[in-house]
Amino acid sequence: MQILKNTKFKAFHKALSLSAEEVIEQVKTSGLTGRGGAHFPTGLKWQFIHKEKGPDKILICNADEGEPGTFKDRFIIRNNPELLIEGIAIAAYAIGANRGYIYLRAEYKNLRPHLEWAIKNHQNELAQIHFRLDIFMGQGAYICGDETAIMNSIEGYRGEPRSKPPYPAQLGLFGLPTCINNVTTLSNVPLIIDGDWSDFRLFSLSGNVSKPGVYELPPDSSAGDLLALGNPSKPIKALFFGCAGGCVPYDPKLKLSKEGVADQGAMIGSFAVIAVDEDQSIPAICRNIAEFFVHESCGGCTPCREGNVKVLNILNRLTSGDGIPEDIDRLIAWGNFIQDCAFCGLGQTSNNHVLSALTHFRKEFEELCKSSSMKPVTR
Amino acid sequence: MQVVINETRYQVEEETSILQLCQMLGIKIPHLCWHPDLTPEARCRMCVVEVNGHVRAACHTPVCDDMVIETDSEKIRNYRQLNLELLLDGDHTFNLEEDNEFSRLVRELNAEGSLGNGRTNGANIDASSPALIRDMNRCILCGKCIQVCQFVQQVNAIGFSNRGHDMEICPVFGKSISEAGCVYCGQCANVCPTGAIREKDYIEEVKAALLDPSKMVVVQTAPAVRVTLGETQNLEPGQVMTGRMVSALRKLGFDRVLDTNFAADLTILEEGTELIHRIQYDKPLPMITSCCPGWIKFAEHYYPDLIPHLSTCKSPQQMFGAIVKSYYAQKIGKRPSDIVCVSIMPCTAKKFEITRPSMNVSGRRDVDYVLTTHELGRWLNAEHIDLKRLGDSPFDPVMGMSTGAAAIFGSTGGVMEAALRTVSDLLEGVDLQRLDYEQVRGAKGIKESALTLGNREIRVAIAHGLGNARILMDDLRKGTSDYHFIEIMACPGGCIGGGGQPKPTTQSTIKKRMEAIYNADRSLPIRKSHQNPEIQALYETYLGQPGSDKAHRLLHTRYNNRKKTLGDLKDLEI
Repeated sequence: MQILKNTKFKAFHKALSLSAEEVIEQVKTSGLTGRGGAHFPTGLKWQFIHKEKGPDKILICNADEGEPGTFKDRFIIRNNPELLIEGIAIAAYAIGANRGYIYLRAEYKNLRPHLEWAIKNHQNELAQIHFRLDIFMGQGAYICGDETAIMNSIEGYRGEPRSKPPYPAQLGLFGLPTCINNVTTLSNVPLIIDGDWSDFRLFSLSGNVSKPGVYELPPDSSAGDLLALGNPSKPIKALFFGCAGGCVPYDPKLKLSKEGVADQGAMIGSFAVIAVDEDQSIPAICRNIAEFFVHESCGGCTPCREGNVKVLNILNRLTSGDGIPEDIDRLIAWGNFIQDCAFCGLGQTSNNHVLSALTHFRKEFEELCKSSSMKPVTR
Repeated sequence: MQVVINETRYQVEEETSILQLCQMLGIKIPHLCWHPDLTPEARCRMCVVEVNGHVRAACHTPVCDDMVIETDSEKIRNYRQLNLELLLDGDHTFNLEEDNEFSRLVRELNAEGSLGNGRTNGANIDASSPALIRDMNRCILCGKCIQVCQFVQQVNAIGFSNRGHDMEICPVFGKSISEAGCVYCGQCANVCPTGAIREKDYIEEVKAALLDPSKMVVVQTAPAVRVTLGETQNLEPGQVMTGRMVSALRKLGFDRVLDTNFAADLTILEEGTELIHRIQYDKPLPMITSCCPGWIKFAEHYYPDLIPHLSTCKSPQQMFGAIVKSYYAQKIGKRPSDIVCVSIMPCTAKKFEITRPSMNVSGRRDVDYVLTTHELGRWLNAEHIDLKRLGDSPFDPVMGMSTGAAAIFGSTGGVMEAALRTVSDLLEGVDLQRLDYEQVRGAKGIKESALTLGNREIRVAIAHGLGNARILMDDLRKGTSDYHFIEIMACPGGCIGGGGQPKPTTQSTIKKRMEAIYNADRSLPIRKSHQNPEIQALYETYLGQPGSDKAHRLLHTRYNNRKKTLGDLKDLEI
């Protein structure tokens, strides 16, 4: 696997022989995009922060890998932490950051020694660019994977997203220009600078497969390619892209790219693929996901805080066999409302699962409604 | 910039949010969590509009060139209905007829909700404080109360706790408001759209007193009430309603309508004398005003080491109470126990002030009940008393006469200016022409000035809003402060921006109220406190000199160090 290559800070030294602008240019031309799920061009993001004036700039490595079904960052930190630290060092050099944080997910506290070891090993290189790198432990909130919520969390405030503008590039952590990159994104950087890099994607495959795990595939890979590696024992019915990405019916020819999945009304996000076989009930999975979002909503805005409870209530009713036909219309109404009106990415994506499931698997929902359409209900 | 709003093209010059632009253009966008003086947090999502086909919250989306904005499309109307349905779930004792921001919005948008079905039903009502009620069954989590408490007042008595659907607004560690170091300024209640935080209502108690034939009920009205009462009946801000207010109070059945302004003049004489005394005898300087009970409680909690700087004078309300149950009772031949003293205040902290242990020189509470402007407005509306239709009526004698100096107590800088008018006369020993001290007026958060009074230079500073008070107090604590006299009012704008004032209270309404206050000052024949004939009579026949022993017993008080408890309950006198 490309991501397991250890460039031993060769790329870092190579980057130091270039100007910051040249490093940014290389990353730009490579076409690297954010692996956290938003797919923003990394080089462009760096350029924004590089352009900002002032002596103090901050780099945050987002290791708050909270998306259910995603575990690629864990894989990198456990198996190749030095590559990540090298990526952070190159990014810090390119944007001119003097302070950095690795925002590590609370549940990954067992990985902290790996990072500490790698940072200690390369203290000299970090000192060379006058860059201080610390590990900041999250406290277990999914929302703190949002780039602005991370900043609130590090500053000691509630883990709630901030409104944009101002963007982190201008007014970020402690009011300083701040760059926030995902672990996987940063780990690709040394490989790019080193030269021999292909735009492979790290898939986290889980669900009804006998070989779940992290797989590295070229960008034009299809669902069939990935599932062949996972070796499911039963025919696969659907793929869920984490909790926030929504679902698609399984089609071996489906291209697992941002565009390919978007065409089916879902989002590839952070390349988490949860395979669902024909024995599973899609509404039951949606109910689980809705419960997750009710639990993880920060409570900041009305649609996400109250609306997701409505969605969960309806799904609870459906899956316990008390559904009524209007429930499907109500799910769609609430889903669209939350998607459009919620404050941040969490809320806006919190109903992708039910909306895409209703596009592709409406029958399963309708069957649950039929059984008891005569029962009186309260809303 | 050019933008299209609802198919009309507009030319826009300044940078602004979509919501503010639409307000300027008179295009209505419903909103709950937005307040013109606070940073938009975009929590309630009522203000959603379509921008180039995307749904955005208007309050925090800046206007950009070529935007195409739809404020009232079918989609948006539908979303607003759904949103209101969710918000109605949060408010369990929602009453459509009530006069609050949320009820008005629901009426306007004609929304239907499933009441009492949602979040915090069954939460305990926190009535632990004498000033404010926290009823979290009604909270829709708009967060404005937290913003004013944390950023404007910097008291941090309340904050968000828990997450998602369990989120609530409460004091630290789920304590009651009386244990949280709250100063009861009531700014939270003033911005609350539902009444989840509101003043503790004493209208029923006052009505009972009015019906009791054995009691004589006297009412006093604070300087800032007469310029805001009209707003409770939807009149334009900034109208002086003194005469009509007195008529309305008589209509409600009060036996005597007297004036807190009388006591404000009295305060100036006592405080001015204290200032001169402190300067002459090297007592702790600067002296800081003590008229504002929110500020006093704030100082006791957070700056107890600076208590020696606080003037020992009671606030005008409490001076009034002490005098009404001694001098006035004697004058009209009543026992203090037969008098019930009600005060109409712009302030929720005043409800706490009357419970302070030292405020009972007559052997019982000097002031029995406090109603805010907001409450009085509600009462008048309930009794269908229309201020517009009332004629003017004068205050009753003995404690009803006041000067322009007292009138300006309601505005930030007013106490300072009133004191300067008297102190300069006392120091010079003549009746000076100078009346207006423009440098202490205005809406600036901290004002400072140096004046020559007599042959001395007197340096003064004025702060309003407790966040600004913190700046001055931190300087004083560090020893970098060289003022002689500091005026502090807890609420932005002073009492005209008080927590018990009509809603909404914003910078622009405060400005209009302030103009009204200074107009009232100019229109009065006497503008210096020490020239008030009723005050002169009080000293001649009863108190003796300002600062006399009797004056001290009745009109001065002491303060408590509340640092350790952060609570109200242990009111041990120092």
